[in-house]
Amino acid sequence: MLAALAACGRSDSGVSGGIPASIRYPDHVAAGGAQPPAGEITNPLASDSANVADGSKIFSSMNCDGCHGGGALGWVGPSLVDGRWRYGGTDGALFQSIFYGRPRGMPAYGGILSPGAIWKIVSYIRAQPVPVTVPTESFK
Amino acid sequence: MRRAPLLLLLLPILQGTPPRDDGQWTMPGKNYAATRYSGLAQITTRNAPRLRAVWSFSTGVLGGHEGQPLVVGSTMYVVTPFPDVLYAFDLTREGYPLKWKYRPEVNPTALGIACCDAINRGAVYADGKIIYNLLDGHTVAVDAVSGRELWKTQIADMGQGETTPMAPFVAGNRVIVGPSGGEFGIYGWVKGLDVATGKILWTAHNMGPDSLMLARPGRGRYTGDANIGVSSWEGDSWRRGGAPVWGWISYDPQLDLIYFGTGNPGPYNTEQRPGENKWTNSVLARRPRDGTLVWAYQFTPHDSWDFDANAEMILVDLMVGGRMRKVLVHFDKNGFAYTLDRVTGELLVAEPFANVTWAKGINKRTGMPIVDTTKTTGASRGNVQGICPSLEGGKSPASPAAYSPRTGLFYTATNNLCMNFEAAPVTRIPGTPYIGATTPYVAGPGGYMGEFIAWDAARGRKVWGIKEQFPVWSGSVVTAGDVVFFGTLDGWFKAADAKTGRVLWKFKVGSGVVGAPISYRGPNGKQYIAVYAGIGGDWFLLSGDVRSDDPADVRPPADFAPDLARHTSQGGMVWIFGL
Repeated sequence: MLAALAACGRSDSGVSGGIPASIRYPDHVAAGGAQPPAGEITNPLASDSANVADGSKIFSSMNCDGCHGGGALGWVGPSLVDGRWRYGGTDGALFQSIFYGRPRGMPAYGGILSPGAIWKIVSYIRAQPVPVTVPTESFK
Repeated sequence: MRRAPLLLLLLPILQGTPPRDDGQWTMPGKNYAATRYSGLAQITTRNAPRLRAVWSFSTGVLGGHEGQPLVVGSTMYVVTPFPDVLYAFDLTREGYPLKWKYRPEVNPTALGIACCDAINRGAVYADGKIIYNLLDGHTVAVDAVSGRELWKTQIADMGQGETTPMAPFVAGNRVIVGPSGGEFGIYGWVKGLDVATGKILWTAHNMGPDSLMLARPGRGRYTGDANIGVSSWEGDSWRRGGAPVWGWISYDPQLDLIYFGTGNPGPYNTEQRPGENKWTNSVLARRPRDGTLVWAYQFTPHDSWDFDANAEMILVDLMVGGRMRKVLVHFDKNGFAYTLDRVTGELLVAEPFANVTWAKGINKRTGMPIVDTTKTTGASRGNVQGICPSLEGGKSPASPAAYSPRTGLFYTATNNLCMNFEAAPVTRIPGTPYIGATTPYVAGPGGYMGEFIAWDAARGRKVWGIKEQFPVWSGSVVTAGDVVFFGTLDGWFKAADAKTGRVLWKFKVGSGVVGAPISYRGPNGKQYIAVYAGIGGDWFLLSGDVRSDDPADVRPPADFAPDLARHTSQGGMVWIFGL
């Protein structure tokens, strides 16, 4: 029973002992067409308003908005609400970006945030509406 | 007999005939006094309309191109924004080909620690070396002839939120450097390095105990109370109180004093740092040899609005009250232009050069601003409306002014922006932003957002102005031909008559100008003007939709300047103009 719960925990969060599994980046080209061994991790939290609201608070209290801007519209860091992703926009890619950081300035938060808190941030980011008219900007 | 008002007695005095200009530009502000005045006079108000582009070069980098090139002998040196490439161009050969380029290793993590784009404000030449800062907290010295790296010193700690885009300054055999990080809760400092070896010889903090500020209350001219760098803060808030040094430095060799401004206290939420927060938003005079604090003056005590004082301190001599005074002139972000006695730090003149609502004036006796307390901000005060200037400053410190001894006038870019300011509590997590405020902008009265002005620092008044649709964010140079040059965010580079403000010539340089033009004499004996194009700095953040290099970063236009991207995108170019 305990083993089943632990296994369930891993499959729900994709996180074992707080360390995420390697994940698949579906947008990367696989050399020879052969995908490397990797897993998928999905957000174990319900995308309900409570988790989104919690994620919004964490986004602010952990100073994410200091770089990505209020509403995550982009500031010194890139916009997170344009539907575009430097490092992948799947649940797993977003989790990894926050947990481990990214080389062009994204700090690693995995040392100070629990996986649960990071998943709430992912819930918040993915709940933001993506503009449908982004590709063309017309001037009057 | 009525005494004439003091201000009327402040007349600029020409400091005799300036020495013949050697045609070079070897330090950021042209000279120790940081006047950005070129004694070259081939380009005049009469022939300036015939100026033409003679050369251009893409730096291959898109970040904000702040700062200025150097010209040493027959070589031009250009430092790019991150990744901080140093180019050396041979001005003796057609097309100015490269002699060499230096590609330092720079940690890209700095991109997430630099508050406001990955800019660099330029290099300084001394002792056969080109010396400049890498964004990731290092100072390097490169042999000016060979391009070989001579020394590299870590001066700053990115883990604490420190980056280093400022231009180093050399006084005697000391390289003076400081960090950015007012938005990251750093513990601000300046350091003195040995020019020969790069070794750090002293570190002077801008707040904290006297022993760490290198202050000696009661000795010399320093009048601060004992440990005022602690007592003007609550608890240990000074340890994360900001006071970065990201602007310009000047030097008076006779007095043997360097002058520099300190930046904002952190966080923006004032309620987390009760007290006057000395010496944030201040001018400090220190000995370059050992860093000793000789005097200090705080422009904006207990800053409520992010009014960094990092703008240049321009050193000139003025007649004040019938007496010749050695002064420094400073255009502060807070919208006031200050004239101080640079020997003692005594305040002589403080008049608004931009639209100001946060204060009714500056009390000349106490040196304190007369604050409109309805404009004071803090987490418990909600969304405070109608604060002018905005935190971009009445003038940005990134846009250094120029002074002409021929006209006695100062020339500076200004911003006509106001803001609302909603503060909130914030937690310091080292290596992440420590801000605590939302501050949307709106154009100031008149609807235009910028103006390039000529300022009479003796009388404290504007002499002329050239209004611009967008904020003016470039530095300037003024010449012995009485021509003054500046650039605009929508990508024009302009020449104006220094006496009248009449625009004589303009050229579209391809991207908005946030750099500072220089003037030099080429190996062929001709006068040239050089400037960077490349919008960025704060405008990388604020403009919204001016970046096109990242398919994963698409932004809406800035709500207060929605048309800016109609005229410019990011770019990085060096331009040279001549007759």
